[in-house]
Amino acid sequence: MAVISENIEIAKGIFKMCLSGAPLGEAGQFLMLKQPDSLDPFLARPLSYCNIDKNSGTVTLVYQTIGKGTKAFSKLKQGSLMQAVGPCGRGFPLVSGNAVLIGGGIGTAPLLLLAHALRESQPERHIKVHLGFREEAYLIKEFGQYADEVSVDIGGIITDAADFSQAAAYYACGPEPMLKAAALKAEKAGAELYISLEKNMACGVGACFGCTCKTKGGNKRICKDGPVFNALEVHDVL
Amino acid sequence: MSYEPLVTEFLGVTLKNPVLAASGTVGFGREYETLASLSKLGGICSKGLTLNGSLGNDGPRIYETPAGLLNSIGLENPGVGRFIKEELPFMRSLGCAVIANLGGHSEIEYIKGASLLNDAEIDILELNISCPNILDGGMAFGIDPKSAADITKKVKAKSRHPLLVKLTPNAPDLIAVAAACEEAGADGLSLVNTFLGMAIDTKLRKPVFNNVYAGLSGPAIFPIALRMVHEVCKAVSIPVAGIGGIAAKEDALSFLMAGASVVQIGSMTFAAPDTMAKLVDELYDYCKLNALENIRQIVGIL
Repeated sequence: MAVISENIEIAKGIFKMCLSGAPLGEAGQFLMLKQPDSLDPFLARPLSYCNIDKNSGTVTLVYQTIGKGTKAFSKLKQGSLMQAVGPCGRGFPLVSGNAVLIGGGIGTAPLLLLAHALRESQPERHIKVHLGFREEAYLIKEFGQYADEVSVDIGGIITDAADFSQAAAYYACGPEPMLKAAALKAEKAGAELYISLEKNMACGVGACFGCTCKTKGGNKRICKDGPVFNALEVHDVL
Repeated sequence: MSYEPLVTEFLGVTLKNPVLAASGTVGFGREYETLASLSKLGGICSKGLTLNGSLGNDGPRIYETPAGLLNSIGLENPGVGRFIKEELPFMRSLGCAVIANLGGHSEIEYIKGASLLNDAEIDILELNISCPNILDGGMAFGIDPKSAADITKKVKAKSRHPLLVKLTPNAPDLIAVAAACEEAGADGLSLVNTFLGMAIDTKLRKPVFNNVYAGLSGPAIFPIALRMVHEVCKAVSIPVAGIGGIAAKEDALSFLMAGASVVQIGSMTFAAPDTMAKLVDELYDYCKLNALENIRQIVGIL
């Protein structure tokens, strides 16, 4: 059982939760989180790692209060227990060379650990981050720790800002229309793009077939075979 | 002599304990092997199989409800042949009983599937005539006593395995369906499958699921499932597997007292993967505490 060491609102409706004792994982992977013994909300919620401090073993998650589950999370106090199953799924591949990260809204959260991992695995690479928000920006300072350039857009279309002709690999996480736009631009430019998908999940471990998506290689389970996919595999069905 | 209070005879198969994983909730075992300590269980039911496999339903498949969930998976599965080749050896290696759950869209599909499973080392065949999420077949066979009896009789005639028929709570006269299946040669009954439910996306003003209706499971259905199991156990003399919303020891004990010989746990595994393994330990402690030689001593006492 993990313990909540911090759970604070960092922007309107956006919370940062820190856990100690949770399983550690890679960028793009996620935890299935649930308040122990609660039957309502019933299911665990998948939240991607936003950052991990390997020294202290602290996991940071950033989430938006959208439904019943995340609203209940936001009310939990420091010291509360949290059931954390994971690490779940397959994360982002760390492609060698310069990287461009594109995040929309709460989809920016998993990209922070990705920027961290990319920087650690290849300190000299150039990392550019495009972050788009509807109203209020968050995590900007944190991205600055790892990225060479961070551009922020509020209310616009973030994919318009990204140039798909310069980097070795592109990574995107955010709303489906954003991912679709990024996938189309990447395909046109012949760029390598990895996207992180989400869907309602029951088990989170690949057993229930509740979150499958159609890909060129047949049905894939977002929770087990993803959530990160090469955009070329899935973009035609997004 | 060793104290083995949980060992249960079910349909001629000796189970380590009466705790089984319900079909559709642990896939074919791989993903939950460690998380849910599957080898500790009495048995596991495979994901619902169809003869030639299926890609399942389009659109949303999962929707959480108060103390439960609606699902519309639509029997996504690799087909009976690939199950036997690719999944069964692993399931067998878990060291618990293996129950193959077989669905179908037509009589011929059920019969061919059951025949193919004669070549496989499974312990029990669970005939799924209760899936609410496929448009033709599935639950249609389990709604009406005559069609339920018909398919039960035909599959029983073809299959060399003990036959457990899984019933739907959506049948207008569940007791009549249960009695008809017993009469037709079922060796046991498992109930209940999911209740037909619905969810509406009020923002979009349309149903959440492409099939409009979906199957409700989880603790929310427990009291209704318990009543149905109790009614059916009063009406038939073949063994019953009690299913429906078990979340804790008291729920499992209730099913046993109501007449079920074994229980199947489903949705709760999603919420807390260690539920089934914990239940095995708790039932053991219950027997010890109550000086029961075997858990069967409480089966059907009500």
